[in-house]
Amino acid sequence: MSAPLPKRIIKETERLQSEPVPGISAQPHDDNARYFDVIVEGPGGSCYEGGVFQLELFLPDDYPMCPPRIRFLTRIYHPNIDRLGRICLDVLKNNWSPALQIRTILLSIQALLGAPNPEDPLNEAVAKQWKENQPEAIKTAREWTELYAKKK
Amino acid sequence: MSQDGDASEKSALPTALAAHEDARELVRLLQCTQCSRPFRNPVTLPCGNSICKECLPEAHQREHISYPDLPGRRQGFQCPFEDCGAEHPASDCNIDVTLAKIMESITEVVAKHRSVLESMPELLEEQVMWDEVMSSQPSSEKPQVHQSVGGRLIATYTLAAQGVLNHSTDVTFADAAEQEKAIDIAVLQEVLETTQREVDCQVCYNLMLDPVTTFCGHTLCRKCLARVLDHSLHCPVCRRGLAIPPSLLRQPSNKTLVNLLNGLCPDVVAARAEAVEQEERGSEGNANVSLFVCTLGFPNQPTFLRIFEPRYRLMLRRCLEGSRQFGMLMYNRYGEPQGDLGHVHFYQYGTMLQIVHAQMLADGTSLIETRGLYRFRVKSHAVLDGYSVGDVERIDDVNLAEEERIEAEETSLPPPTEEGDITGQINRMSTQELLALGQEFIVRMRGRSANWLQQRVLDIHGQPSEDAALFPYWFASVLPISEEEKYKLLGTRTVRERLKITATWIRRIETQRW
Ligand SMILES: [Zn+2]
Ligand SMILES: [Zn+2]
Ligand SMILES: [Zn+2]
Ligand SMILES: [Zn+2]
Repeated sequence: MSAPLPKRIIKETERLQSEPVPGISAQPHDDNARYFDVIVEGPGGSCYEGGVFQLELFLPDDYPMCPPRIRFLTRIYHPNIDRLGRICLDVLKNNWSPALQIRTILLSIQALLGAPNPEDPLNEAVAKQWKENQPEAIKTAREWTELYAKKK
Repeated sequence: MSQDGDASEKSALPTALAAHEDARELVRLLQCTQCSRPFRNPVTLPCGNSICKECLPEAHQREHISYPDLPGRRQGFQCPFEDCGAEHPASDCNIDVTLAKIMESITEVVAKHRSVLESMPELLEEQVMWDEVMSSQPSSEKPQVHQSVGGRLIATYTLAAQGVLNHSTDVTFADAAEQEKAIDIAVLQEVLETTQREVDCQVCYNLMLDPVTTFCGHTLCRKCLARVLDHSLHCPVCRRGLAIPPSLLRQPSNKTLVNLLNGLCPDVVAARAEAVEQEERGSEGNANVSLFVCTLGFPNQPTFLRIFEPRYRLMLRRCLEGSRQFGMLMYNRYGEPQGDLGHVHFYQYGTMLQIVHAQMLADGTSLIETRGLYRFRVKSHAVLDGYSVGDVERIDDVNLAEEERIEAEETSLPPPTEEGDITGQINRMSTQELLALGQEFIVRMRGRSANWLQQRVLDIHGQPSEDAALFPYWFASVLPISEEEKYKLLGTRTVRERLKITATWIRRIETQRW
């Protein structure tokens, strides 16, 4: 048995449907309104362009006091995303604020795809490649996007 | 808290101000008491009063203040509001973002309608107030008649904006056409629609309930702000550091917003207060007890707790506002199944604790002293804002007749056949003998200066209880044995059963079987 869904989650979910963000979608599960299937499209002009990335997002019991838990399900070659799909993003950790929301978090993730930050890496190997041979790293990211993030 | 008055008078719900009939009152809600104009760059002061930034008194150097030594805090001014008069630090007075946005929306609505309604004249006559007549001012001045345009609301607002309508002055309107009333209603409706999003709290997404404005100018429900402060000492909107929680939580509500919301939509405010109350009680009253999964508590015994986890701080605050009681459950570290509940993270029997004393420290943690009231069993449970709540059933002993029947039955059993059958021997002892066994054990242990019977322990738990029903709780509170073993007392239904448990502990200690 669980407590009724807070009004805030209901409203956020409604607004995600009624005012969708281009290139982003988040759909709650029928049997668990705190668990979302998320799709983020790679931003135009980035090495993830054309990729459709699947993520899972979960709103913990004390959301929005605590940030949503979110990770990539689609494999991605990115210095701030590790092999398990975990994301290194300040707003998902210490910089979380209850005034942020699912929408703003997903936009931050999309922006992270457009601007990888190898100086604050989660995936050391990828970050190293990114710093030492950026053209090669970008090429790999494109290949991975082609391989894992394209609808077949 | 400051707005409880409205919530408690449930029988007489306040009605919303009417667009046409209460036009003067509606405009007054938005007038600065200092300059009488609609708020321009409104600032909400630490006392909850709002004022135009331009109307703030001249700041002066504050004296005898060295902490916190921030440039903005060295400047201060005397609060111009009669109900306050305190010295506010200049840095604590920033634009009230919510009120500013509301004023922006209203200005737009008024400007839009005014341009359409230029041709519709509206006559307003100032009313002479008795206190004005009685005052020393020469009362020869005649009440003024103003002409403005466009329905009562727009006309009155326009006069205020022109600075010719004093905050305290009442007006009478010339006879109104039906058409005018319709305009007033339409204008108010548009104001409600355009300002609706501004009065939603950014944490709960509901209409702000008991709004409190921080010194950085951001407004949240009082309860939402309290929850935010459990987790972080920064404003969730602008991330500026906030003052320590206790002082901010005692800060008065934003009076302008409270009056505005009560004037415009008292029904929504009342419904919201009711909903929050319900939420905290738990859904449909079947999850009405806050449950703290932490340690063992016993009836009649004190339990001291240090509460620092944000979710439990919230639970504690809600308890303190309500019954001051919560259920204490022990953590089920071995994952043992719990009856109908199955595999849950707590043991199903617990003790209701009454908060005797609570002390909040500056870092937000709380020290609380509780006393056990009665035992209960969890029938169902749920999660509310990160902590457990549940429906519980009180566990009481059977009546005395049944207690006597059980004793008679057990004491008349034939003696145990096996030598050293401790359980068999205990089973046949009278209830008084079982109690005496415990009391004598304590006397013996004291003679040996047992560590767990030091004065320090007795100061907290008192002397061993003379009452056979309570003795086992006292004994369990002081005896250094495993919590899982002590837990056995919580599900008991007879005094005798508890004393048999304590007797078993004693026999095991004596025979060194532990
Ligand atoms: Zn003041
Ligand atoms: Zn003013
Ligand atoms: Zn709120
Ligand atoms: Zn702020």
